[in-house]
Amino acid sequence: MKRFTRRDFLMAGAGIAAGATVADSVLGAQPAAAELALKPEPGATLRVLRWKRFVQGDEDQWMANTKLFTRATGVEVRVDNENWEDIRPKAAVAANVGNGPDIILSTNDDSHQYPDSLLDVSDVCEYLGKKYGPWYPSALAYGKSGNRWIAVPLGCGGNCMNYRASHIKAAGFNEFPKDTAGFLKLCQALKKNGTPPGFALGNATGDANGWCHWLLWAFGGRMVDENNKVAINSKETAAALEYVKQLYPTFVQGTLSWLDSNNNKAFLSGDISLTNNGISIYYAAKNSPDPKVKAIAADMQHANFPIGPIGRSTESALFFTSVIFKYTKYPNAAKNYLRFMMEKEQYEPWQQAAIGFVAQPLTAYESNPIWTADPKHTPFKLSCKNMLPNGYAGKLGTASAACMADFIVVNMIAEAATGTPTQEAMKKAERRAQRYYR
Amino acid sequence: MSAATKDLQQTHGMGYLVSLPRRVVTVYIPLVVFLVVLLFPFYWMAVTAIKPNAELLSREGNPFWVIHPTFDHFSRLLFRTAYPSWMWNTVLISVIATFVSLAASVLAAYAIERLRFQGSRQVGMAIFLAYLIPPSILFIPLATMVFQLGMFDSKLALILTYPTFLIPFCTWLLMGYFRTIPFELEECALIDGATRWQILIKIILPLAVPGLISAGIFAFTLSWNEFIYALTFISSSENKTVPVGVITELVEGDVYHWGALMAGALLGSLPVAVMYSFFVEYYVAGMTGAVKE
Amino acid sequence: MNAPQTQVITGSARVPVEPARLARLFDNRNFLGFLFMLPAALLLLMFLTYPLGLGVYLGFTDAKVGRAGEWIGIENYQYLVTDSVFQLAVWNTFLYTTIASVVKFALGLWLALLLNDRIPFKAFIRAIVLLPFIVPTVLSAIAFWWIYDAQFSVISWMLTRLGIIDTYINFLGDPILARMSVIIANVWRGVPFIAICLLAGLQTISPSLYEAASIDGATAFQKFWHVTLPMLTPIIAVVMTFSVLFTFTDFQLIWVLTRGGPINTTHLMATLSFQRAIPGGALGEGAAIATAMIPFLLSAILFSYFGLQRRKWQQGTKD
Repeated sequence: MKRFTRRDFLMAGAGIAAGATVADSVLGAQPAAAELALKPEPGATLRVLRWKRFVQGDEDQWMANTKLFTRATGVEVRVDNENWEDIRPKAAVAANVGNGPDIILSTNDDSHQYPDSLLDVSDVCEYLGKKYGPWYPSALAYGKSGNRWIAVPLGCGGNCMNYRASHIKAAGFNEFPKDTAGFLKLCQALKKNGTPPGFALGNATGDANGWCHWLLWAFGGRMVDENNKVAINSKETAAALEYVKQLYPTFVQGTLSWLDSNNNKAFLSGDISLTNNGISIYYAAKNSPDPKVKAIAADMQHANFPIGPIGRSTESALFFTSVIFKYTKYPNAAKNYLRFMMEKEQYEPWQQAAIGFVAQPLTAYESNPIWTADPKHTPFKLSCKNMLPNGYAGKLGTASAACMADFIVVNMIAEAATGTPTQEAMKKAERRAQRYYR
Repeated sequence: MSAATKDLQQTHGMGYLVSLPRRVVTVYIPLVVFLVVLLFPFYWMAVTAIKPNAELLSREGNPFWVIHPTFDHFSRLLFRTAYPSWMWNTVLISVIATFVSLAASVLAAYAIERLRFQGSRQVGMAIFLAYLIPPSILFIPLATMVFQLGMFDSKLALILTYPTFLIPFCTWLLMGYFRTIPFELEECALIDGATRWQILIKIILPLAVPGLISAGIFAFTLSWNEFIYALTFISSSENKTVPVGVITELVEGDVYHWGALMAGALLGSLPVAVMYSFFVEYYVAGMTGAVKE
Repeated sequence: MNAPQTQVITGSARVPVEPARLARLFDNRNFLGFLFMLPAALLLLMFLTYPLGLGVYLGFTDAKVGRAGEWIGIENYQYLVTDSVFQLAVWNTFLYTTIASVVKFALGLWLALLLNDRIPFKAFIRAIVLLPFIVPTVLSAIAFWWIYDAQFSVISWMLTRLGIIDTYINFLGDPILARMSVIIANVWRGVPFIAICLLAGLQTISPSLYEAASIDGATAFQKFWHVTLPMLTPIIAVVMTFSVLFTFTDFQLIWVLTRGGPINTTHLMATLSFQRAIPGGALGEGAAIATAMIPFLLSAILFSYFGLQRRKWQQGTKD
């Protein structure tokens, strides 16, 4: 029964005898210089696990860039794609057992759950920051743990209001409202016209967390304060909940059950005229062979989230990072790969192929022509700049990730929306959050 | 249907049979309702699998029907994903895991039921208890072991872990079945000087074929459906199983490829369905043995 | 423990064997027993018992993903009993298991009785009845998700066309309806297995028992109650144990349909444990939730195991 092939045995060996020591010695031999010289180890090969595309062009171009990397360095790279929510168990297992793909493209604060399992990529990030930077604050928040960069920020899947221009007009609005008060009026008018809005309130990791956090923050509410002390039970939060009590009745029915894909479907079928999403709805509509859906693409527009009483942008977006695990046998090759993918020659075509699905974390890429090629792309341009990180205003870490995964904010807002008294909903959320922040 | 009913009347024109209208109410109508409800989701899968995307979200027309059937989803599945190799993996893993489990279970069940070694009752009980372990949490510690044994991302990982939930059921089922085989047969053979091994192979096993088949089918189905282990222990596309491959690669962010997903579900059920249609009578018979005294 | 041990389960009398030979056999028996148990035991101990021990241990630590935890005793459990989401999940699990099992049993038994009747295309119908059991759960769950969709449900479509309702049914968005919907999906999947197993049981009942009952002038219901049901009891006990266990630990269905929503009203212990352990990273707490399932499962198993033993004995005396 116990007959392993040699390769298996080697893999097992590497898993047990911490690959970290190997990595450290190699790194030690090559101190990070001003000029980033990351010579891949001889015979290096890499395995990359990335989230399955939201838009086709993203994956195609990523693969094309990977080919370029192989041609330039001779390092074979194998890329596996998986639905982004299934990356989590994989990454969790990899971090826990110390073996798996060399590089994982992960989402949100996942990397802050196991910073100790991750290779220090400060040299790559500082190099990129100097060349294309500075990094936006959100990138710093997601990429750094303490003084150490644990992940190379790739950007974020911007989250914007998707709306039907003709329906907004019919509701008496010439442009998309800029503040929350106007937004509520718009939703009420849309509802009256029979073209309601719809925002996910189910346990939808992307969309529900996206707009619920925006709403909480727009009114000045926040999960924790700057010292990571739970601060959700506040009059600001209460104001947000009172607001949602007026907003929710305007939604199309069934949003409590919505997961991430429901609003895409409902928007493309014309059931709703307003929702929050990345660019994937527009991409699907634009590339559909169906003339009716094409017409929706022509009619739809994107807008940034309205600004609440707090007076500044409080968007929330799905952030993408790439991490290298310490157990990798080829740390230099891995770092070089991530550096290569972030260089202008690769990064800009990637953004273009994904028609701006990924918004850059580095200021230099603001000039990428993709943002102006189609005015409908433009609102996504500054997503990384406009967004607040998870667990705002505290630090990212296991607690922020746990609160997010437990849908504490989404549940609180859904409860308030469906009639739970404001105080009760807040207290519940506070209690649950205190469990993780202590 | 009417032809069938007539046919039935002819074959079973027995006196004590209740009148036809009554049978229609008590047997046929409920049966038809059952069949409709049980099969409706399949119909829905099949319709979705051949619907072009445009019709899927369309508000016009009848959702139960397809206006322009298309095989795009099937061709996408077969030629643009690794579906054929997922299928092959699932077959391979399920078959081997089933045989490994059956072999281990036959030995275990024989030992518990017929050898009656000291403590066999307790062991039988312990095997039964193995069911109380929810795999949804087992996979983290198990993943650690899979790595340490160097089996990560290989089919071997699944082949060796699936028996953990197959063996208890198979053993239990076979224990029941062995119980129905008269002891006399075995004792005569013992007196004739046969070894226990010979008895097992030459006498018990041939008699236990229905039991083996039904245990095998059940084990095969469970392996075929397994999700969490396959999701976490396998990462290369070419090593995935059907349920995992379909879910992880046909759901792209917030875009579901409904047609291809349903096509994958249908194609993925076919082999098991074919097997069941061949063996369903044995299956029923095997289950019977398990509980018959 | 002794009582079941001494009762020999076979009805046949055993041929006496002379003492010396018996002794030798006995030796062999234990040794052979050990040998025969070895493959199963190795696999189970290695891939089940050891990880289980590890899992239970994790429940007493504050382990996080990627970080070994420290022993914190029963702190996880202390928190959980006061956690409203956990309480809800426990309640949901019981509700889900009880209702789904009872409905599955009732429908399964009914279907088995129907299939046991004289019907045309018997083999074919039996085979297709098993279909729901065959399709990988995640995939049938996706089909159900589409059928229950708030905007695209065909059921709602049909009912509105028939003029029965005027707005679409909020299948997964209303706490009560969502629970009902997931239970229906679970029942759909579980009925065929139960029906086929019970059908197997039905076929072992000798027709002579029914004939005897008929001669005594029993009604159809009396025959069912006094002949069919008692004869079926052993298989009912076993099948229902499996059904309860599978329902209690259900994960895939909920994860696809609702992720535990709306507002945690369909969260089961298994899904909550996964949500907290993997996406949430709180391995220790997730393990504690999973461990908390064990006592319930254990009692279900013991109940049926000993229930089964007693039934057998009762039957033995009845015959």
